[in-house]
Amino acid sequence: MPRAVRGLLIECDPSIKAMILKYDEDHHEYIVEDLDDENHLVIKESQLEALKNRLDRDLDEKIMQLDESESD
Amino acid sequence: MAASTSRPLEYLEGLPGMTFNKLYQQPSTALAIFRRMLPDLAKCFVMALLYLKDPLPTQDLELWVKAESKKQRDNALSILGRLHILSKTLTSENVSAYMVTNPFADSLRKALTGSEDSQSFGVFSQHRNEHRKSISDLDEYARRQWEGVLGYMVGTEYLKDSGHPEVSLSKGVKQLLQAGHLVEIYERRTEITKDGFAFVLQDVNTQVWHILILYVESAEAIGMDSVEVLSFLFLLSSLELGQSYEKKYLSPVQLRTLADLADFGIIYQRSPDAPRFYPTRLATTLTSDSSALSGTVGSSLNGPAGPQGASGTGSGFIVIETNYRLYAYTSSPLQISLISLFTTLKYRFPNLITGKITRQSVRRAIDMGITADQIISYLHTHAHPQLRKHNAGHSTSNTAGIPPSILPPTVTDQIRLWQLERDRLRATSGFLFKEFTSLQEYQAPCQYAAEIGVLVWKSDRKRMFFVTRHEQVAAFLRSKKEMR
Repeated sequence: MPRAVRGLLIECDPSIKAMILKYDEDHHEYIVEDLDDENHLVIKESQLEALKNRLDRDLDEKIMQLDESESD
Repeated sequence: MAASTSRPLEYLEGLPGMTFNKLYQQPSTALAIFRRMLPDLAKCFVMALLYLKDPLPTQDLELWVKAESKKQRDNALSILGRLHILSKTLTSENVSAYMVTNPFADSLRKALTGSEDSQSFGVFSQHRNEHRKSISDLDEYARRQWEGVLGYMVGTEYLKDSGHPEVSLSKGVKQLLQAGHLVEIYERRTEITKDGFAFVLQDVNTQVWHILILYVESAEAIGMDSVEVLSFLFLLSSLELGQSYEKKYLSPVQLRTLADLADFGIIYQRSPDAPRFYPTRLATTLTSDSSALSGTVGSSLNGPAGPQGASGTGSGFIVIETNYRLYAYTSSPLQISLISLFTTLKYRFPNLITGKITRQSVRRAIDMGITADQIISYLHTHAHPQLRKHNAGHSTSNTAGIPPSILPPTVTDQIRLWQLERDRLRATSGFLFKEFTSLQEYQAPCQYAAEIGVLVWKSDRKRMFFVTRHEQVAAFLRSKKEMR
């Protein structure tokens, strides 16, 4: 019997998807359904903002930024 | 200038037909709308029809325009219709026809031939006095007042010691900005809103119209007839720069409007009780294509750039290099604080500031609600003539089709990319359909969802699909089940 589930379809790069999957490992608080292709998954609607903030924070830390302090 | 035309036009189109009837009683309004709000083709239509005695059959008018320009014709006719200038009637032979509607036609004829005596275009002051203001005085006054308003919004208070004369804003101005949601006041502290940021980065003409429409909208609330205010604005826009006008012919509502507009620098009067007023460039360019303020102060860039001289509201004081460094030849606290919204400032000299557009500074601006396009258009508007000259020469030899950009493409692209970075994921709200037992059972509703345009994603292998709305698909599934 088919079922319909409410959620947000997320489209992103594989790297971002990997990060989301990793976040979800601990408490399973984000993902409704992992869609098994490289760049899609369905998450809980209420978690979008929290997820975005967490991603932004982590990416800012992890990605090396060039030149911010380069002398003028 | 297309952008600045659209907002007043949108506002006017929203008005009820009765209002137009009243507005068009004034020749100055009819002329102002004719001059500024209409596309060229629409102007042709109006001029051709204006002195016809009988309505012109629709087919005849359509013959004037070549078939390949049908789009422009329809656009012109639709604008004329929405502004209640042209109406469809029947000729004596019962053929559908166009005619220019009446209060408008009468007023425009009066405006063109000057056969009116109702002071619709203001009355020159004959009085010659020693306090006469020159055009450059008026420009200086308008610029200072307008920068004062913008400065209040972006909060240039911390730059107060820069030697600029303080501009005091009246309570009315502050309330208007608040009512328009351009600023918000928290515990006596003024904070600019997202709309406000978008506002301060626009060109002056658009800003003035934005403020004036807010003013007209709020006029009703303080007991003024909004139609009278609006037609007074059109009157002001048709006055002559550098001339003074008598106030004694104005109505009480008009006098009150006048006092409010003085705060914005749109008109100048020596004191609230002065018998005369001067329109400034902000007023006289309202319904013309030349831009307010820019150009008039641009010349000061060539002169000695003292703290007062190079205030640089005019076009052309920003230089950007391909390495994201930014040099702005300005000492205006307003411009400095605008630039600092999206730039990391480095040094400040008497007539020059330098800084760098960085990922952090752009991200900060985007978090405040400024878009990449707003930043780019601000930089574009204020690009230094040298930058224009240099890059214009380069890009003519470049690929055809792409409009030549005066800003380094690396910089504009990067600003856009920085904005995209903020949106690392794209989210679509909706419903996931899953757990179909067979491929056949899956295929039919999936195809149906695609047909009604709600399907966003599907996977044949997993037998799942994602839709934006589920009602119709669910109904489809139910009907399928009943059929079995």
